[in-house]
Amino acid sequence: MNRKWMFLLIILISAVFLSGCWSKKELTDLAFISAVGIDKNEDGKYVKTIQIINPGNVAGGLQGGGGGQAPSVSVFTATGDNILEAHFRASTKISRRLYQAHANLVVIGEQLVKEEGITDIFDAFERDPEFRPTTTVVIAHDTKAEDIIKTLTAIDKIPADKVINTLRTTEQAWGENININIQEAINTLESPGKELILTGFRLKGDAEQGKKMENIQSSTLDAYPEADGIAIFKEGKLIDWFHEEESRGTVWILDKMKETDVNINWENEKEAIGYHVIRQKTTVSADVKKGRPKMTIDIRAEGDIREVTVPVNLNDPHVLLSIEKAVEKEIKKEIEKAVQRAQENKSDIFGFGEAVHRSDPKAWKKLKKGWSDVSFPEVQVEVKVNAFIRRTGLRNKSYLYDMEKNR
Amino acid sequence: MRSIFKRNKKKSSSKDRQEDSQGQSKQPINASLSANLDVIKQKTGNSSDIVFRTLKMGRHSEIKAAVVYVKGMVDSQAIHDFLIESMMNNRDLHEKLIREKTMAVITEEVVAFGGIKPVSGLDELLSSLMSGETAILVDGISEALIASTRAGDKRSIQEPTTQLAIRGSKESFIESSETNIAMVRRIINNPNLWVESMKLGKVTKTDVSIMYVNGIAKDEIIKEVRQRLKKINLDGILESGYIEQLIEDQTMTTFPTLYHTERPDVVAGNLLEGRVAIFVNGTPFVLLAPAVFIQFFQSVDDYYARFDIATAIRFLRIFTFFISILGPAVYIAATTFHQEMIPTGLLIIVAAQRESVPFPAFVEAVIMEIIFEILREAGVRMPKAIGSTISIVGALVIGQAAVQAGIVSPAMVIIVSITAIANFATPSVAIAISARLIRFLFMVSAATFGFYGIILALIVLTVHLCSLRSFGIPYMSPLAPFIPTNAGDTIVRKPWWMFKERPRLMAAGNNVRSGENQQPQPPEDREIKMNAGKGERNES
Repeated sequence: MNRKWMFLLIILISAVFLSGCWSKKELTDLAFISAVGIDKNEDGKYVKTIQIINPGNVAGGLQGGGGGQAPSVSVFTATGDNILEAHFRASTKISRRLYQAHANLVVIGEQLVKEEGITDIFDAFERDPEFRPTTTVVIAHDTKAEDIIKTLTAIDKIPADKVINTLRTTEQAWGENININIQEAINTLESPGKELILTGFRLKGDAEQGKKMENIQSSTLDAYPEADGIAIFKEGKLIDWFHEEESRGTVWILDKMKETDVNINWENEKEAIGYHVIRQKTTVSADVKKGRPKMTIDIRAEGDIREVTVPVNLNDPHVLLSIEKAVEKEIKKEIEKAVQRAQENKSDIFGFGEAVHRSDPKAWKKLKKGWSDVSFPEVQVEVKVNAFIRRTGLRNKSYLYDMEKNR
Repeated sequence: MRSIFKRNKKKSSSKDRQEDSQGQSKQPINASLSANLDVIKQKTGNSSDIVFRTLKMGRHSEIKAAVVYVKGMVDSQAIHDFLIESMMNNRDLHEKLIREKTMAVITEEVVAFGGIKPVSGLDELLSSLMSGETAILVDGISEALIASTRAGDKRSIQEPTTQLAIRGSKESFIESSETNIAMVRRIINNPNLWVESMKLGKVTKTDVSIMYVNGIAKDEIIKEVRQRLKKINLDGILESGYIEQLIEDQTMTTFPTLYHTERPDVVAGNLLEGRVAIFVNGTPFVLLAPAVFIQFFQSVDDYYARFDIATAIRFLRIFTFFISILGPAVYIAATTFHQEMIPTGLLIIVAAQRESVPFPAFVEAVIMEIIFEILREAGVRMPKAIGSTISIVGALVIGQAAVQAGIVSPAMVIIVSITAIANFATPSVAIAISARLIRFLFMVSAATFGFYGIILALIVLTVHLCSLRSFGIPYMSPLAPFIPTNAGDTIVRKPWWMFKERPRLMAAGNNVRSGENQQPQPPEDREIKMNAGKGERNES
């Protein structure tokens, strides 16, 4: 080997080894943040609550073994004039480098969003290179965000997972809540034709009990977070909570409904037939006439009959048709309720403004200014629902019908 | 600075060679038999395994003759039956024998051997003698006869040990290149299968033969092989590996640029693609040149199995090659630089395992890899009886104890095992060893720059591979340069009925491999089907 090669080799070796492991972060040097809570204290400072995963207690298995004895997360709080300051101030309490790439939940306290609004908060998250814009945002309903973050949960060992999975599952199965991440929230805040909604989480039970290991050592938990309603914002401030029918109606209009149950009355019997929606398609279209916008909500729902508590002959197509009619009415009622309440709140959470913008951009230019306060509450909404029964489960005629007949 | 880049050119001295050739100056065979025998004895240092059998011929037993051979290298039964016996006991012959005509008579009437030729030089006689041939010397004649009596103990043909195949021939080469050449000839029964032989190695004088199919192999390549072989001036050629290292295009690489195999069917297949085979006496490994990168991922099974299956397995092999190079590197990069890329659940598990490990991931990986390499190296040369001990100790030490002691994490054990198994899945040992070595390079670059480093190293590797040549043929061909007609035997294996052409860079002129319309089809004649149906019905 001649000198030239030797020289190049020395340069190469020193370039590799002297530079060291640039920006290396060992797993054992990191504190994985799973959830972040934002509150405001009496002094008007931000309180950031950080939930850190304790890997040894989560994984169980061969090593660590301690899953069960020690909590799977540790929670620290820090205060600051802004969110960034609170974040770095937390380093006085935590031995490892805070690592946000795996944080997948942001909980924001109700008081903060009611009084100050949500608008200022997201920039710190969006700007951070580690933080994911797909992180779910929820509002702590009637509690501090801190309490939701601190509560230990069963089944899902990491409380953040429990909250997100609950939200996803219920969004999928029941359709009263909606999973909104930071990116979507920011986009909605930017849009003049749509107002923000976020799912609320309420802490059921005693917050103090929830922090202790005993909380998850019994079959009934002393404290647990529960998805509860949709928070309605107007210009970044929380103004109202939607529950039950209103929130389901909202989800329908937003075309986010996946599966849900619709109960209808049958021959004087209340809630006698359970209709299970399996797929649906909602289209919202706007039509501006003489400066007055009119919305048409077109819903096409398909589903099965999953429960019958009255003797009814499901073999009869006429019966099925009338059940479909009843279902349509029921869905329509929910939607109208949601629209009515949103109009009362003067908050266009359904994005009607955007629909107007899409269908008639010129008219939207005029309407834009006073949309939420003037035009939106006056908007006429026509709801058309088409419901179809695709199956009736494993049975067609219920045994109730045979019993009735044999009597 | 300039002085650093100054080249120190060595003066090449051709002196050694000249002296050498002078030392082998021609010494003629003496007319006197006893003098000849004395010279042979002296030249061979009176070696005890050389047999000198003197005998008398002629009417009055006045012609003295001698038969000389090396014990063990010849077929002594045949020498006794067809040479000595017929020379001594042929009364009629002895009657008419005249001294001057002895050689002719022996050649034509006495010796019942296939190969017999006269020699006049003593050195020629000695080298023939040493390679197992028998010399016949007659007093008063300055010439000798050489009878080809080469034989001796050979290993029988056995199943291949390094290139096993589920389907296909169970033969493998043995140490005798004569037998090996015959084995290939038995597969390709064609007069165009040409063989050239030469003796290489100043001291060992090893038989080296090159074999190719005339008309398929490119003349330039044959010439190049011949030239490179002729250039070899080493004292000994003990294995084809010697030759491989002496005729490579590029020495600064871990990748093999010659293919070696112990299967006759592999040699035959490659000869048909226009390659040249190099047989070396004394080793069952035959070299094939030129070699391309993708060749090392081809196994004979690929060609015997149907194309869809072969393609799927080819994919798997290339994938495992990447695992065996990148396995630990990706682990290091992902756990020390790119934690955000690991799904949260997995990350927590890995992090929990690493909680108690006192080393950084890179050090952990290097320790484990080195331990594994030690185990493998120890296992390769272990007698079978002790081999199992090694595997038990290895499994217990690195699989169990090290994990329980918290020195390494279980994830690392998994990574190392997968890497090792992936490495074994590569059909060619030559490229697998290369991958083993490069792996460490990738680990260092991963530990230094993360995935960025891995990508850099991959780029360097690709550039390096593309710069390699094997006997002038680009190593990455037919992928780079991309030759669409030949790419059907690379990552995918086209069905046989679509193999229309031989590798274009290797094969000369005669590129067409198969006829037209080779794709099998159901019978066109409907009668056949109907009749077949009837036949079944009749039987039932």
